[in-house]
Amino acid sequence: MPNSYNYQTLPSNDNINAYSYCLEVRDAMFMRKGKMIAYYGNLRFSALGDSMYAVIVDKVFNAPGYIGDFVIVNGQGKVVLGDNGNNIASYNLESGNLTVKSSHVLGFDSSLICQESTQPGYLTLMGTGTFLASSNGPVHFIEPPCRVDEQALLGWADCPSPSYHYDYSYIRNIFDVVGSMVLGRTSGEEKQIDFFGQGTVLIQSSEEELAGRMNLQRLTSEISGLGQHDLNQLSSFINNLMRPGE
Amino acid sequence: MPTFEMINSKLLCVRLNNEEVFTKRGAMIAYKGNVTFAKSSGGAGFGQAAMRVVTNENLQLMVSRGSGEVFYAYLGKHVTLLKLNGERFYAESESILAYDSRLRAGTEFMGNQGGMSGLVRGAVTGQGLFTTTLEGHGELAVLSDGDMIGIDVNPSNPVFVDPDAYIGHRGQLTSSIKTDVSWKTFVGQTSGESYQLQFTGNGTVYIQASER
Repeated sequence: MPNSYNYQTLPSNDNINAYSYCLEVRDAMFMRKGKMIAYYGNLRFSALGDSMYAVIVDKVFNAPGYIGDFVIVNGQGKVVLGDNGNNIASYNLESGNLTVKSSHVLGFDSSLICQESTQPGYLTLMGTGTFLASSNGPVHFIEPPCRVDEQALLGWADCPSPSYHYDYSYIRNIFDVVGSMVLGRTSGEEKQIDFFGQGTVLIQSSEEELAGRMNLQRLTSEISGLGQHDLNQLSSFINNLMRPGE
Repeated sequence: MPTFEMINSKLLCVRLNNEEVFTKRGAMIAYKGNVTFAKSSGGAGFGQAAMRVVTNENLQLMVSRGSGEVFYAYLGKHVTLLKLNGERFYAESESILAYDSRLRAGTEFMGNQGGMSGLVRGAVTGQGLFTTTLEGHGELAVLSDGDMIGIDVNPSNPVFVDPDAYIGHRGQLTSSIKTDVSWKTFVGQTSGESYQLQFTGNGTVYIQASER
């Protein structure tokens, strides 16, 4: 028999199990669109473009590229969040900052400030408050210096901005033009993200990305930054991949 | 009677002693003993089977017969065992992994529930207008992304559920659709979460931590 919950026994701002989380809504909260799986109470979900919340969005949300990915939830009640059966964890920040892969950010308090990181596809959360992130498998914390597979990386806190580390065999491949075109997905053994200094690095327990439609979402969000010339190149590259029988 | 036992959260073992059990097609991963497998319409009569094809609530079932132990798993999804004591369980057909041959399977027209909005529910969510029902005394195994969660509903606390997270329900419940769809939704400022299933009455709704 599965555990059964009612309004009183549902945990408040805590995990129900490793894959779902229950939020008790009091203030306005930011939430990733579509991750609500159930709720009790009187709640309203509104787009960030809604003028009622212009003041909060103006103060909190400094990532225009992701404005369509989030909604504001407010009212009185309890919301259950889930993300395609991925693990969900909550993080408390106390005047700190944490950078997380954008597709993994599930929700955050409106007391935090959310900005786009210079590393494409990542969001930085700053201030004091709670945020939720999903991961493929439980999250593990390690300290720099370390090198991490880009697919397994969830984010980092309090350390200098990371850089890439390449192995010689990878660099040799780059000189081979065909090789570099085919190298769409690396194994993580030739190219890693390099962390140094003081801080914490968060990794998920799998070198696979999240289950679900996250990969495409991240790609499309990055494409918006490309120019006409790059887009033409990308389109011919994709056409090459999709040519049947080759 | 066949005994259901969980090996771990994703692997089910069913012990058969000259009995049969209905399961999702393709879910068998190993077996011991003398067991045969065949396509099945799920123990229901021809009329029921035809009804299911027509209503798209088509359980892709097989029947395992004989004596021995059979192991079932499906796409690494979590499995939950439920015991029915004469009551009726409503489920989305695709989340059913296995059920006891003592249970009767049926198809219910959900449009009856909540009248017009019931119809809208099926049309909007793509989950179909019909729901599979299981009734009787016996066990069933249900699939979910992550552990299955039961949410109690009573008259003072209705619950709203994402249609894609919905797995099934039991008890005296009526479902209707609730929309937040406004003019803004159509001009491009989608707020997400634009429709939910509202359950009212007395009972339990089962959901999974996933919205597909």
